[in-house]
Amino acid sequence: MSIGIHSQITAAVFENANAPQRDERRKALLGVRGLRKRHGDRLLFDIDVLDIATHSAYVLTGMNGAGKSTLLRVLGGLERAEIDSLRFAGEDVLRVHPYPRALRRAIVYVHQHPILFSTSVADNIGYGLAVRGESPAAVRPVVAAAMAWAGVAHLRDTDPTKLSGGEKQRVALARAKVLQPRLLLLDEPTSNLDGAAREQVIALIPTMVEAGSSIVIACHDRDLINLHGVQRLKLRDGHLEYR
Amino acid sequence: MNAISDAVLRAFALLFTGDPDLWRIVWVSVKTSIVGLLLATPPAILIGYVVAMRRFAGRRIVIWLAQAALSLPTVLVGLVLYLLLSRHGPLGGLQWLFSQSGIVLGQCVVALPVLLAFTLAAVQGLDPRYAETAIALGAAPLQVMVRVLHEARFGVMAAVLSGFGRVISEVGCALMVGGNIEGETRTITTAIALETSKGEFAQGIALGIVLVSIALLMNGALMLLQGDAHTVRERA
Repeated sequence: MSIGIHSQITAAVFENANAPQRDERRKALLGVRGLRKRHGDRLLFDIDVLDIATHSAYVLTGMNGAGKSTLLRVLGGLERAEIDSLRFAGEDVLRVHPYPRALRRAIVYVHQHPILFSTSVADNIGYGLAVRGESPAAVRPVVAAAMAWAGVAHLRDTDPTKLSGGEKQRVALARAKVLQPRLLLLDEPTSNLDGAAREQVIALIPTMVEAGSSIVIACHDRDLINLHGVQRLKLRDGHLEYR
Repeated sequence: MNAISDAVLRAFALLFTGDPDLWRIVWVSVKTSIVGLLLATPPAILIGYVVAMRRFAGRRIVIWLAQAALSLPTVLVGLVLYLLLSRHGPLGGLQWLFSQSGIVLGQCVVALPVLLAFTLAAVQGLDPRYAETAIALGAAPLQVMVRVLHEARFGVMAAVLSGFGRVISEVGCALMVGGNIEGETRTITTAIALETSKGEFAQGIALGIVLVSIALLMNGALMLLQGDAHTVRERA
């Protein structure tokens, strides 16, 4: 399948995925006011308003070094920043460093180069459920379904160090999907992937919106940026533009 | 030359005839070293992990002290513990001076900086994405620590093995705190020092062979672990 045809299919899926969003009049999921990040004396970004709606997909673009990854890491609770106020699912979040557990578990961040733990692929995918106290019996079918969804069922007991970049990325997406996050933050999910591996990853993303997550994707990938139904954010000169 | 070969032959005889005095010394050494190590390992790993992962005021001073403590002469540790455990010292009431408990305390103090520094290095050397991924997937702080230490397990195991090597081969602290009492606090290293000073080389050589064997076993295990770790890193 060519990339062009694939993009059209993905776009259609994205539009379907965004149907609930239109129905629900874009309920606010995450609202941040006054978000500033400094690296030493340098102000990396100063964002007045950042709103993420439920059941929505966003691409976050910007030049290299604009702060896309840092912004995702801040939203993911992995990096500190100055935040005037933060609301999530209609609730004010009073403590943002670190995130309270409920928020911590509602947002999942996936690295540009995901790292897999030195255990089996299945255990990697079930990790988030295990730390939530789910029993192995409850985790097993969820993991099996996620592996089938990501096309990695045949890798169930494989040593993760033997996986290709595309396989690792799909395992990381499956690992995030089983948690049914309210907000999923993907940092350059298709970078360093080409051909079928890239298309397989792109195909998985809209189905996660369909499943109920909102997604913010930092990327340079034209096929992701140009998808219909995806809202575009751009970090330029330290400010966030809605396009 | 004949005296040396004669001593070596008698040393092997002691080893293979199961000389009870010799093996009691080995047992005291191994027991106090393992108990001291077991006591030192949990706090050292915990401190090493926290220092590696957290940023706090005075962190660099802690790292500096931990690394400096690696080169601390064990005889100095022995002197300090002697003063603390002596009858008029603040810990004199424990009556641990010249006892195996005193040696265990000394081994614990000697092992702690080795374990801490090696754990610190192992966790610091680990890709930070392991901890971040665990956090991003909703792990609580204790669960993150378990995950990170599991990923750094080769380095942590190397820390434990190095700590064991350090305590079983040290002489200064065991001599000062244990007192080298036959059948009670005489360890491999203190016995070698004593027997050599008396001109009795056979038992010293036999104990030296045991010590070298233990060192070879420890380092062999370490090499096996490191070999596995290197393979994993190459594949990753």
